[in-house]
Amino acid sequence: MFSSLKKAFSKFKEKTTQVAKKFEEKKLSSIFEELEEELIVNNISYEIVEKIKNDLKRKLKGKEISKEKIKSALKEILNDVLSVEEIEILKLPEVKKPAIILFVGVNGVGKTTSIAKLAKKFQENGNSVVLAASDTFRAAAIEQLEEHAKKLGIKLIKQDYGADPTAVAFDAKKHAESKGIDVVLIDTAGRQHASEDLMNELRKLNMVVRPDLKILVVDSLTGNDASEQAKYFNQKIGIDGIIVSKADADEKGGAIISAAYETKKPILFLGTGQNYSDLKSFEKSEIISKILD
Amino acid sequence: MVLDKLGDSLRNALKKITKEHIDKKAVISLSAEIKKALISGDVNVKLAKEIAQKIRDRALKEKPVKTLTAREHTVNIVYEELTNYLGKEHSSLELDKKPAKIMLCGLFGAGKTTTAGKLARYLKKKGLKIALVQTDTWRPAAYAQLQKLAKAVKVDFYGDESAKKPVEILKKSEKQFKKYDAVIIDTAGRDALNEELISEINDINKFLNPENRLLVISGDIGQSAEAQAKKFHETVNINGVIITKLDGTAKGGGALSACSATKARVKFIGVGEKLDAFEEFKPKNFVSQLLGMGDLETLLKKAEEAIDKKSAEKIGKKVLTGKGFNLNDLYEQISSMKKMGSFSQIMNLIPGLAGANIPKDALKSQEKNIDKWKFLMDSMTPEEKENPDIIKASRIKRIAAGAGRNENDVKELLKQYKQMNKMMKMMSGRSGQMKKLMKMMGKGGIPKLPGM
Repeated sequence: MFSSLKKAFSKFKEKTTQVAKKFEEKKLSSIFEELEEELIVNNISYEIVEKIKNDLKRKLKGKEISKEKIKSALKEILNDVLSVEEIEILKLPEVKKPAIILFVGVNGVGKTTSIAKLAKKFQENGNSVVLAASDTFRAAAIEQLEEHAKKLGIKLIKQDYGADPTAVAFDAKKHAESKGIDVVLIDTAGRQHASEDLMNELRKLNMVVRPDLKILVVDSLTGNDASEQAKYFNQKIGIDGIIVSKADADEKGGAIISAAYETKKPILFLGTGQNYSDLKSFEKSEIISKILD
Repeated sequence: MVLDKLGDSLRNALKKITKEHIDKKAVISLSAEIKKALISGDVNVKLAKEIAQKIRDRALKEKPVKTLTAREHTVNIVYEELTNYLGKEHSSLELDKKPAKIMLCGLFGAGKTTTAGKLARYLKKKGLKIALVQTDTWRPAAYAQLQKLAKAVKVDFYGDESAKKPVEILKKSEKQFKKYDAVIIDTAGRDALNEELISEINDINKFLNPENRLLVISGDIGQSAEAQAKKFHETVNINGVIITKLDGTAKGGGALSACSATKARVKFIGVGEKLDAFEEFKPKNFVSQLLGMGDLETLLKKAEEAIDKKSAEKIGKKVLTGKGFNLNDLYEQISSMKKMGSFSQIMNLIPGLAGANIPKDALKSQEKNIDKWKFLMDSMTPEEKENPDIIKASRIKRIAAGAGRNENDVKELLKQYKQMNKMMKMMSGRSGQMKKLMKMMGKGGIPKLPGM
C-alpha cells in the first residue's frame, strides 16, 4: 500500500530539482500536471489533489528548492490533510459500559466482516461483546453475522427480517446493560447515502440508541465517491471514526486519504485480509513516512 | 440520477460554446472540462485524456453542417465519441443455447449475489425458466442469501453448504441444468489479485464453459478498476459488464474503465436495493441524458409501464369534456406519475427541459406537495373522492386529522382541484374561452414551476 504514491512524490522531487534551483511556477507547470495525474491515478480525490498542488506552490514559491525542502513541505501538507482527532477505541469500555458502537456504510464495503474482526479485538482485550443484527433488510445478512457470532462464541441479538433496526439495537443495548456486557457492536444495512429515507432510518437509530462511537466503513477501492460517502454519512449522523476495508486489495491508498480529509475523523483500522486477525491499526506518522521516506 | 454530476459538468462545459463559429479557445476549454469531468467521475486517466483529445480534434477539424449551430455540432461530436466508447444499442445476453449459462464474477462486495437475484427476476419476466446456482463456499451465509433471493423471485436454487470446491457443487447439480433455459452461477468474490480466487474462477469456467461471463463491478470503484478488470479478463475472457450501486452519488467512471480494459459492453445497471431496481443499459439513451438532450424513448417506456391504459383513456375523456373529473382521477394520475420516478428524473428525459436549470429544491418541494395531496386523499372516503363538493367543515377537520396535516392543507387541495376542474371546463368550451385560459396563464393564475 502507498508504494505507487511514494513513487509519484519521489519522481516529483527528482524532476523539480532537475529543472530549477529556484521555484518558478511557469517552468514547473508540466511537472505539476504530471503530479496531478499520478495522484488521481492513486485514487486521491480531485479536491485533495488541487489542495496538495496549491499548498505546494504556496509553500515553495520563490524559494531555493532542494529535495529536502520539498519533502518537508509535503510532510506538512500530508499532516494537514490527515489532521484528525485521535481515539483509543479499545479503551472505550473503561470509560463507558456498555460501549455502544454503530457501523454504517454503503452496500458491500465489508461492515459485517469488520464487526467480526473488531469483536475479536475486544475479546483479546478482555472485553465481553454482544452483536446486534440491525441489518434486517438484505437477504441472509442476519445469518452472515450469526456465523461470525458462533465462530467467535459471542451472543447475537436478532429479530426477523423486516423488523425495525432500531428495535434490534435497543434490545442489544438492554441485554448488555442487564448482563453487564462491555461492548455492543451494531451491524446496519448497507445504504446509498443519497437515499433520504434510509438515512432517516439511521438517524432514528442514532437518536434512540445513542451510540458512543459511530464508525463508517469505506472500501479502499472506492474512487472519488469515497469523499461523497464520508461527507454524507458525517452530515446525516456524525461519524467518529473510519475503518478502511479491503486494504490488502489496494496498492494505492487514496480512499483512505479522501475519507480522512473529508471528515477530519481518524482512520481507526485497515482491513487487510479474510481472517479475524486481519485488522491493522492505523498510525498517521507511519503512513506519512511510508509515503515520503 | 446516474452520472448526474458528470452530466452537470458536461452540460456546463457545452454551454460555454455560444458563438456561431467554432471558437478554438472555447473548444479547448470544453475538452479540458470534459477531461476533468471524466476523471472526477473516476474514468481512467489515460482514457479520459484520449476521449477529450479526440473530441477536441474533431470539433476543430470537422466543418459543421450548415443547419447546425456550433454548439449543436460540438454536442454531436461529444455524443458520437461517447457512444463510440460505450456502444450504441443495448448489448443483450447470449441466450440461444439451452441452457444458456451465465457466470457472474467480480470483487467482494460488488453486489454479485444481489445481481444474480435481479438477473433471475429479469429473465424470468421474459418467460424463461431459470435456476440460480451458488458456488461461493467462502463468505458466511452466501448460500442462504442466494437461496432467499431464489425464493423471493420464485426460481429454483442449487448449492451445497458443505462443499469445499465450486466444481464439486457444479458436478452434482449439472445434470439438472438441462431443465432450464438459463442458469445463473454466482461465484465467490475477492480481490482479483488473489491467486486462490483466480484459480477457482478459472476452474468453474473450464468446467462449465459459460457463454456469458459477466463482470459485476461497483459504480463507486476508482482508478483500480482497470487492473482488477484486466485480471478477471485474462482469466475468463469477460464478455459483459454489470455496474451496481448507481443509485448513490457514484459516477460509474471506474466501471466504464473496466469496460474499456475488457472490451466488453455494459449490459445492465443496478439502481437500487430492491430486486426490480435493475435496468438494461442502453448507451444511446444514456449519453443523450448525460448531455441534456433528453430521452423520449425511455420516458415513453416509463409512462407505458406506469400508466394503466384503460384508466388513462377514461381520465383523458373527462379532461377533454370537462365533465366528471374527480379526486379519484387526480389520485390515479399522481400515483402513475410517482411510479415513473422523481420529478428531476422525469425532467431529464424531456428534450428541451433536460439540462434546463431548474433548482432541485423547487422540484423537491413540488414533489412534497404532491405527496401531501396523496396522504390527504388517503384519508378521504370513496364518496368524498367521487364527489368532493360534499367536503365541508367537519369533513375537512376529520380528513386533516386522519392524514396528520392541518385543515388549511385540505382546503388548499380542494382549491387546487376546483381550479383544475374550471380549467378543464374552459378548455372543452369554445375557442373564445381558450383565449381566456391563455390570458389566465399569462397572469400566472396557474401555478408554474419556478425557474422555467
